[in-house]
Amino acid sequence: MITIKELEKWFDQLHVLKGIDLTVNPSEVVVIIGASGSGKSTLLRCINFLEEFQKGEIVIEGKVINQQDEKMINEMRSRVGMVFQHFNLFPHMSVLQNVIEGPIQVKGMAQEEAVKMGRCYLDEVGLLDKEDAYPSMLSGGQKQRVAIARALAMEPLAILFDEPTSALDPELVGEVLSVMKNLARDGMTMVIVTHEMGFAREVADRVVYMDEGLIVEQGTPQQVFDSPQKERTQSFLSRVR
Amino acid sequence: MTYDFKALMDFFPYFLPAAWLTIVVSFFGIVLGVVLGLLTAFARISSKPVFNLPARFYIFVIRGTPLLLQILFLYYSLRGIFNFEAMTSAIVALGVHNGAYIAEIFRGAIQSIAVGQMEAARSLGMTYRKAILRIVLPQAFKRAIPSLGNQFIIALKDSSLASAITIKELLLKAQQLGASNFKMMEMLTIAAFFYLFYTSIFTWLFHKIEVKLSASGNA
Repeated sequence: MITIKELEKWFDQLHVLKGIDLTVNPSEVVVIIGASGSGKSTLLRCINFLEEFQKGEIVIEGKVINQQDEKMINEMRSRVGMVFQHFNLFPHMSVLQNVIEGPIQVKGMAQEEAVKMGRCYLDEVGLLDKEDAYPSMLSGGQKQRVAIARALAMEPLAILFDEPTSALDPELVGEVLSVMKNLARDGMTMVIVTHEMGFAREVADRVVYMDEGLIVEQGTPQQVFDSPQKERTQSFLSRVR
Repeated sequence: MTYDFKALMDFFPYFLPAAWLTIVVSFFGIVLGVVLGLLTAFARISSKPVFNLPARFYIFVIRGTPLLLQILFLYYSLRGIFNFEAMTSAIVALGVHNGAYIAEIFRGAIQSIAVGQMEAARSLGMTYRKAILRIVLPQAFKRAIPSLGNQFIIALKDSSLASAITIKELLLKAQQLGASNFKMMEMLTIAAFFYLFYTSIFTWLFHKIEVKLSASGNA
């Protein structure tokens, strides 16, 4: 569904992605782990074309996405959701408005239909009673669940999660992860960058370990967590456990 | 020299046409300033030199020269070229002057909106235009309001400089009456009263808007 080929990116002189090859299959949950600065968030942002890359290509549903083609990128973005570390909800809109903004403005959905669908997704993340609230009135966990509902409302092929629980108080992490587990169970294709190793073990179909702009090792959670083959993976895992 | 309190009441009605002129010059000057300011803010933010260089130059010239000079300069040049009346020149000068300041207010407000807002909008598939109009501008406007209110009050008081090009607004009226009735202090007091009245209305109005907007929730 998503194929990344020989992706390379520089920030000026800094070579942050040094040739990434990765394929994400339909309904697969791919969890990317690695130390800060390993390039995992940058990779995720490249998939959504929020970062430009200098070499390689990204193929989504058989189509090579042209970085210079705004229209193509917008079309692609409308089908690949993104959830951010800092939620990035629209503070001037109510919870429901946040969720229906995309379907109405991007897909041209009728207000009435969008509202109906928006409520459905708010229900799915357990926040139907908050539809009229503004983001500033919500806890971090609630904000992130609204952000997930906002991504879901676009009925995406896949959702990219960029450290979705890193900005949350520890006691709020669970509610967000449980929503994500439900999505995984329902067959949503997901690419998740996270530091939550327990969660990775539980939901991932595949774990990808990145270091210094390269994929060092990948495999099932059992393979990567229980018997990592590469020394760098072993040393990283011993540090985070 | 005695201060004639009675003159305050007696001459008050003579100021009404001037009070109206002050409103007209200020109002149109501010409207023009907001339009120019918004356009200039976007030009200034643009990465394309064709847009941002003229915007920078405009702001550079306006902020670096006195308003009184700008009013006189536009008065003499516009009169020569377009046969503009003094009134039009005053409005254009005030508008052009405020446009530069309002542009900087809008630019600051737009740039203060977190990058994440634009990214979230774009990640939904919104075009740059739509993301600006639906997501960035509404938040930027809200943030610009206190500074805008302040700038509008400055513009209102600056309209007094139009007196230099024969606009019979409050200040010129006070000077003319004072020169003929020798009650300059009293006449200036009446003009001051009008300015205070107007600026109080602005202050009150913007306070209302701020309260109303903060009630509708913001992060």
